[in-house]
Amino acid sequence: MLHLTRRQVLKSCAAAAAVTSFSSALGLVRPAMAATEITAVEWGGDVVNAMKKIAEKQDKVQVNWVLHQGGSGAILPKIKAIWPRAEYDYVAGWEGSFSGMIKEDWLVPVTAATVPNLADIPQKIIVKNAKNEWMAVPRAVGGIYFAYRKDISPIEVKSIDDLFDPRLKGKICWPGPTQSMMLQLVALALHTGGNETNMDPGWDLMKKLAQSGNIGRIAVTDTDFTTSLTSGETVAGFYSEPQLTAVAKSFPVVRLTKQQGMPTFLYQSGFAVFKNRPNLEATLAFINHCISPDMSSLYAEIAGEAPLNVKAKTPDSLKHLAFTPEEMDTYVYVPDFNVVLSQQGAWTKRWENDIAPLL
Amino acid sequence: MNGRLLDNALRLIGLTMIGTIICFLLTPIVVTVIMAFDARAYLGPLPPPALSFRWFEQFFSDDYFLRGLKTSVLLAVLSVSISVSVGVATAVAVERADFAGKEMLISLFLSPLLVPPVVTGFALLLFLSHLGLIDGFARLFCGHIIITAPYTIRATLAGLAGIDRSLTEAALSLGANERRAFWDVTFPLARTSIVSGAIFAFAVSMDDVAVSIMLTDANTYTLPVALISSMRANFDLSIAAASVMLMLVTLGLILILEKFVGLNRVIGEGVFRS
Amino acid sequence: MKPGRGSLPLLLPAGAVFLGFFFLPMAGLFIESFRLYVPGSIGSAADAPFTLNNYAELLTPSFAGFFLETLRISVLASLAGLIFSFPLAYWITRRFSARWRMIAVGLFVTLMFLSVLVRTYALELTFGAVGPLRPLLLSLGISPNGRTYIEILVGAGLLHYIVPVATLTLLGTIQNVDPRLFDAAQALGAPGWKAHLNITLPLCMRGLLAAFLFAFTFSISAFVIPMILGKGRVLFISNLIYNRFSEIADYPSGAAISMVLFFVALSIVYVTSQQVAKRWTS
Repeated sequence: MLHLTRRQVLKSCAAAAAVTSFSSALGLVRPAMAATEITAVEWGGDVVNAMKKIAEKQDKVQVNWVLHQGGSGAILPKIKAIWPRAEYDYVAGWEGSFSGMIKEDWLVPVTAATVPNLADIPQKIIVKNAKNEWMAVPRAVGGIYFAYRKDISPIEVKSIDDLFDPRLKGKICWPGPTQSMMLQLVALALHTGGNETNMDPGWDLMKKLAQSGNIGRIAVTDTDFTTSLTSGETVAGFYSEPQLTAVAKSFPVVRLTKQQGMPTFLYQSGFAVFKNRPNLEATLAFINHCISPDMSSLYAEIAGEAPLNVKAKTPDSLKHLAFTPEEMDTYVYVPDFNVVLSQQGAWTKRWENDIAPLL
Repeated sequence: MNGRLLDNALRLIGLTMIGTIICFLLTPIVVTVIMAFDARAYLGPLPPPALSFRWFEQFFSDDYFLRGLKTSVLLAVLSVSISVSVGVATAVAVERADFAGKEMLISLFLSPLLVPPVVTGFALLLFLSHLGLIDGFARLFCGHIIITAPYTIRATLAGLAGIDRSLTEAALSLGANERRAFWDVTFPLARTSIVSGAIFAFAVSMDDVAVSIMLTDANTYTLPVALISSMRANFDLSIAAASVMLMLVTLGLILILEKFVGLNRVIGEGVFRS
Repeated sequence: MKPGRGSLPLLLPAGAVFLGFFFLPMAGLFIESFRLYVPGSIGSAADAPFTLNNYAELLTPSFAGFFLETLRISVLASLAGLIFSFPLAYWITRRFSARWRMIAVGLFVTLMFLSVLVRTYALELTFGAVGPLRPLLLSLGISPNGRTYIEILVGAGLLHYIVPVATLTLLGTIQNVDPRLFDAAQALGAPGWKAHLNITLPLCMRGLLAAFLFAFTFSISAFVIPMILGKGRVLFISNLIYNRFSEIADYPSGAAISMVLFFVALSIVYVTSQQVAKRWTS
C-alpha cells in the first residue's frame, strides 16, 4: 500500500538537512569557539557544580558542560551510533560504564607522562585494559553499602539478618537489577558463605528477603532511592554514595561502612578520555588539573566523594570513607570486577525470573 | 423493573462517578502546586512545613533550563504543525477511501505508540546515524513528529467518523465541489477532534523525555531532558515549578482564546449545539 | 459516493514520515534482535552472527507473567477510563452551559500539560505509602504496601492520563450525535438507559474505539508511571526493556522484547478496530 521510492526517501532526508541549517540559523547550534574548548559529559547536581568551580581555577581550556541524561549508560548508544564522530572529549563515568567503552576501543590510554598527577593516585584502583594499559583517570571514590535513616527506623540495623526483622515490613529500599553493579547480591552471597563466583547462596537469601515482604521499593534510578528515603516511604537499604549524600544533607543517616558482617564496596568516579577528538592534549591537561591535591579536596567537599589523590584532604563529612589498612581488610570487599561486570546481563535475567515475581 | 427508577439510580451513579473522577483529576494539580512552593530541599511527605519561591528562582537563574525551554517550544511548534497537517491529510484520505486492509493501515498508523518511547528513540537514533544525520535538533524534530503524528491522525479520524456522511452529500448535491464541501462542512465539524489532537500532540511533545534523551546532542536538549539531567540523586522540585508555570501559560492561552475568539469557536461545537 | 481515488496522494506525507521515522528504524531494530550479544559490550558487534537466543530466553513463565500483568493492567485501566470518560463527556456536552463547558475543557487541556513525572510523584505522595490517606487505608484494612494496592495505584496513574484525553476525544463524538434520536426513543416510551444503550452508545462506538485505543497504547508503553507508582515491584514490559537499554547495554535482548510487545499489541489494536468497524459501521 505504502510504496515509497528511493527519491522520496532522499527527499525526506533533504528536508531533515534543511532543518539542520534552519536550526543553526536560529542559533540553536553554538558557533565553534576557540581551539581550547572541550566538551565534557558530567553528572548534574553537585558533581557538575564542583567541576565548574574546578574549571574556574584554570584558564587554559573552556569547558562546554553536557550532563548525563539518566544513568551513565544512557550516553553509550548515542556515542556508538555516531562513532567516530562523537563530540565528547571526556565522559565522567565509573567502572561500570568504563568497561563497555574500553571494549568498544573508544578511549585513549593514559600514563603518568601525559597526566603527571596520576603518580599520586593508588595504581591499584586504575582501570586497565587487556594490555594492562591505564584506560581512565580516577578522581574520587564512593561507597556502596548498607545504611538507614536513624530518625524513623524502628530498629537499629546491625547486620544483614536485621533486614528480615518483621518491624521493617515494607520499609526496605532495595536496588533493582541495573543498580550498583548488583553488588547487593554479592553482599548477600558473602553473608552466606559465597562470593561473586559462587552466587547461589546469595540468590537463595535474596529470595527469602523478597518473600519476607520487607522490601517496599525496588529502586531503579538514583532519584528513586533518594525520594523513597526522604519521603519516609522506606527507611533502610543498600545505597551508593551520591544517594546518601543527598539525603544526609537533611536527615540523620547511619552509614554502615564499618560494620562487621555488612560488606562495603567501593567504586571510582573518573574520566574516560576519547581518542577521536582533536584537543587531546588540552583535555589531558585539564584532567591533570582536576586531580591535583587541591582540586581533589575541593571536589570531595562539594561532590561528596572521597579524594583518591594521597596528598588531598578528606573532608570530615566523608570520614566514613576513610579506612585504615586494617579497616580496609576487615570491612571493604573488593570483588573481581571482571566477573561482576561480565555477569550483569545474566544476573539481571536471573533477577527477573527468580526474584521479581516474588515481590 | 421500573425503567424510570433504574434511570434515576443510574443517573445518581453517573453523577457520583463524575464527581469522584473530577476530584481525582484535580488532586495532583493541587499537590503539584504545593510541591512547587515546598521550601524543603528534598521530596518529603505532605504537607510541607514551610513554603518558598526557591524552585522558581532556581528555574530562572539557570541558563541550562532556559535554553532547554527555548528548544522545547520551537520543537513542539514545528513538529506539531507537521504532524497536524499530516494527520488531517491522512485521516481524510483513509476516511474517504474504501479498500481492503483499511483497518490494518489505521492500526499501523497507531503503531509508534505501541513500543516504549525509549525504543522508538533508540531505533531512530541508529537509523538516522546510518543516514549521517547527527544534528541534535534535526533528530529531535524527526522523533517528535513520529511520536505526535499517531495522535493527530487518530483524533482526526475519530472526529470525521462522527460526521454524518449525508451532510457532505447534501453540500455536493447543492453544487459544492469536493474540496469546498471538505472545508465548509467536514472540517468545521471535525474541528473539535483536530484541535484536541493538536493540543494533545503539543503536550506530548513538551513532556517527552524518553525519545528525546536518545536524540539530543551536546548542545541541543529539551526542557524535560534538562530538568531530568540536572538531578543526579536529589529530586529537584524545579520540575514542579516548571510544570506549574506551563499549566499557567496554558490557562492563560485558553483565557485569551476565550476572550478574543471564543473557545467554542476554536474547538467547535458540533452539529447539534443550539 | 464512490471511493475517491484522488485522495490517495494525501497518504503520501504520512507514508514518508512513518516509513522514514518509524518502520525503517524498527526494521533495523528487528535485525538487531537476532544478533548475538557478547556480555559486557555495548550492543552487538557490527558483524555479530545471527541467533534466535534473544527470543528463546523469553520463553519463561516469569516473562509471560510480566506480559500478562502489563496487558491486564493496561486493558483494565483503559476500560475504566471509558467508563468514567463517557458519562463525563456526555454530561459536559448535553448538560453544561457554554461557560461551564469552557471551564471543563480548559481543565482537561491544562491537565495535559502537567508533566508526567511531576504528576506521578504527586499521586505517589497523595496515595502512596506515606500519603495523607494512609490512616484511612489502614482502617479499611488495606495495606498501602500490598501488591493489589500497588497494582491499583499503577492503574490509577494511567487513568489520570487517560481520562482527560478520552473525555476530549468523546466530546467531539458526542456533540455530533443528534440528540433528537434519543428524545424520540424516550418519547416512544423507552427508559433513558435503554435509549442510551440502543441509540447513543452505538452511534459513539467509533469515538469510544478511538478513546480506547489512545488509552491502551498509552498504557502498554507507559514507563514512568509503573516505575514510580509500581515501586519497582509491578513491572511493565517497558521497564524490562529499559533494564536492557540502560547500564547493561544488551540491546539485542531489549530489541527482541520490543518486537514481541510490538506485534502482540498491534494484533490487539487491529483485532479490536476490525471488530468494532465490522459491527458498528453503518
